[in-house]
Amino acid sequence: MVAPLWAGGLPTMLGALSSLLILALAGIPAFAAKIPTEEEASRAEMLKLVAEPLPGSAIAKGPASFYGPDNLYQYMDGAADIFVLYGVRQMLHLDARAKTADISVDVFDMGSAETAFGMYAAERSPEFRFMTIGTEGYKYEGMLNFLQGRYYVKLLGFGDGADALLEDVAAELSTRIGARPGLPALFSKLPTGNRKPHSEQYIPADPLGHAFLGPAYIVAYALGDQESKLLVTVASDDADAQRRIQKLEEHFAKTGKCETAPELGAGAVRASNSFEGTVVAQTKGRYLILLLNPVQGSEQLLKNAASGLG
Amino acid sequence: MKNFKTWNRRDFLAQVTSSLAASPLLSGPSFLLPQSTNSASQTARSARPIYRTLGNTGVSLPIVSMGVMNADVPGLIPRSYELGIRHFDTAARYQQGRNEEMVGRMIKQMGVRDEVIISTKVLRPGWSRDPNQAPSQTYSAAEVKSHFNEVFQSSLNRLQMDHVDILYNHSADSVTEVHSEGALEAMVALKKEGKARFLGVSSHQPEMALKEAMKMGVYDVVLIPINYTMAKNVEFLKTIDEAARKGLGLIAMKTQAGGAIKPDPKLEKPLTPASQAALLKWVLHHESIATAIPGFTTYEQLEQNFQVALNLAYSTEEQEFLSDQKAVAAAQFCVQCGECRSDCPLGVDIPQLMRSHMYAVQYSNYELAAETMRAIAASKSLGACGNCQSCRAVCRNSVNIAMKIGHLKTLQSNGTLPA
Repeated sequence: MVAPLWAGGLPTMLGALSSLLILALAGIPAFAAKIPTEEEASRAEMLKLVAEPLPGSAIAKGPASFYGPDNLYQYMDGAADIFVLYGVRQMLHLDARAKTADISVDVFDMGSAETAFGMYAAERSPEFRFMTIGTEGYKYEGMLNFLQGRYYVKLLGFGDGADALLEDVAAELSTRIGARPGLPALFSKLPTGNRKPHSEQYIPADPLGHAFLGPAYIVAYALGDQESKLLVTVASDDADAQRRIQKLEEHFAKTGKCETAPELGAGAVRASNSFEGTVVAQTKGRYLILLLNPVQGSEQLLKNAASGLG
Repeated sequence: MKNFKTWNRRDFLAQVTSSLAASPLLSGPSFLLPQSTNSASQTARSARPIYRTLGNTGVSLPIVSMGVMNADVPGLIPRSYELGIRHFDTAARYQQGRNEEMVGRMIKQMGVRDEVIISTKVLRPGWSRDPNQAPSQTYSAAEVKSHFNEVFQSSLNRLQMDHVDILYNHSADSVTEVHSEGALEAMVALKKEGKARFLGVSSHQPEMALKEAMKMGVYDVVLIPINYTMAKNVEFLKTIDEAARKGLGLIAMKTQAGGAIKPDPKLEKPLTPASQAALLKWVLHHESIATAIPGFTTYEQLEQNFQVALNLAYSTEEQEFLSDQKAVAAAQFCVQCGECRSDCPLGVDIPQLMRSHMYAVQYSNYELAAETMRAIAASKSLGACGNCQSCRAVCRNSVNIAMKIGHLKTLQSNGTLPA
């Protein structure tokens, strides 16, 4: 008679042995479930976006290629630098053909919705024809680019029917990406009156040429025929915001002039130099708010921004 | 001479040392610290930048110029001009034209068009470096010419200029591309019309581009990567000198080897901006190079880079950096050409390991470095490296593969790199 492990008898012993065997096998790499890396997971997601069937019965001309920050320049030459600056994680490239038209698909995984927006905005121009696709998109001279989530998608079409193919492929990719977040939330806290359409920017590093100002959100405002810009830099805390305004003051004191602007609020400064023009700045909690090229009537923007960020 | 693939480490070092001793570029107290005679006479600290002539163009330029990287820092252009920079380089495809727009706007605002040298670049249609994809369609010379003209006219519109000083055939990385009939027809005509003062070719295959440009006699300027990672490529350095003797104007890009400023993990202290200056100075000590176009995105970087134009003498810190093999090797970067793969008898995936090293050392992104390594099959990854007495893999771009793999092993064993 087999002595039971516990009061269950032979079946329980066999079950226990099976469990031990499974545990042992799990320790052997060949049998362990492989957890995909973040890069692998991202690639798998991106491949799903371009899987056939594609609109217009487009067929891929070859396997998709992936590029990372270190070799993106091989695909895009010097145009890659700005993508690397904005933190591109990887890019998928695919060429496809549908009857009489060819399409080139580039999908950039920018790592986050914020940096994807930043990169999209870095290439966006107000003269493009904007359209409702993803979070935002536009068509211009045979290309259709759009932003959705952490992806920045760039499509190029060639040949007869390319225009329609671009829109169909974009719509399909957008459906496959799924979630459709809006613009970065901070923009909703900034004044909307006189805001220039499609002028929002997010700059993760070195905004205005100053490392201490990153990351920053920028919006342009039209006052008559003049333009002012609001820049909001997000510090880690109030003390960090104070350090940033101090560095700004030091920079302008060294290169031009900087003086207090008490009419704008406690701690506000007005500064200028020969290459950056005039700036007024103040902190509000952990935000440092700058008004670039202040013109008559625009200084209220600074106050409204501070109020909105409070 | 032995085939280099059969060299052991002793052969390699012997060959390199004797070649370096013979190179006029590299003579001096330390083979890493060239001291060219004419520039040495100009190295006393001076408020005026050092100028050189751009080949047979007759254009005289400060030795440090600006590669315009980011359209969203317009202030860098007037500030660069204030400091003394006179050449600004852009391209039609940078930020989908916004880069050219910004350059044009700022130059117009400053009212200095006649005092600066503006270059832009136009890509041939169907250009793609992707090896998996066939070109979308083939283009006739007439179509290439038409496309080139159309793109260039758009460039002039964005720049708000009626001409550029240098027009490049952009990213011509093969003999075919350098010789592109349609592009050349367009460019020659544009030069005759006065819309482009000089014609250039930009390429990431510098030796090929220089040799072809010398043969063709059409290009006035060649824009090529040149940096310290090429210090041991004697043939290439000789080709540069030959091209300059034949009157080609040479401009250097990618001078700071990808801009690595993160330290070798074995170094105690971070590398200083002096390392960036040292790398730029090394390039500019080569007098065949008329000017370099480093890219910078902050005022601090601009000022650090432009100081080099005032004084090419190495500071003590810069000398130490260039003499420190570890520090310099950490500044090298793998271009992922994959040619080293066949060198390793154990089949180690060297390019992927070099990527991992870059993330760890240059970006201090240990998570990404570890992810990159995890993506490599175990039989080809770090553990497969057999620590051969002398590493058989030889990088065509002079990256110290064995040293970097050693770094990765150290980072893994001390827990810095997550498993």
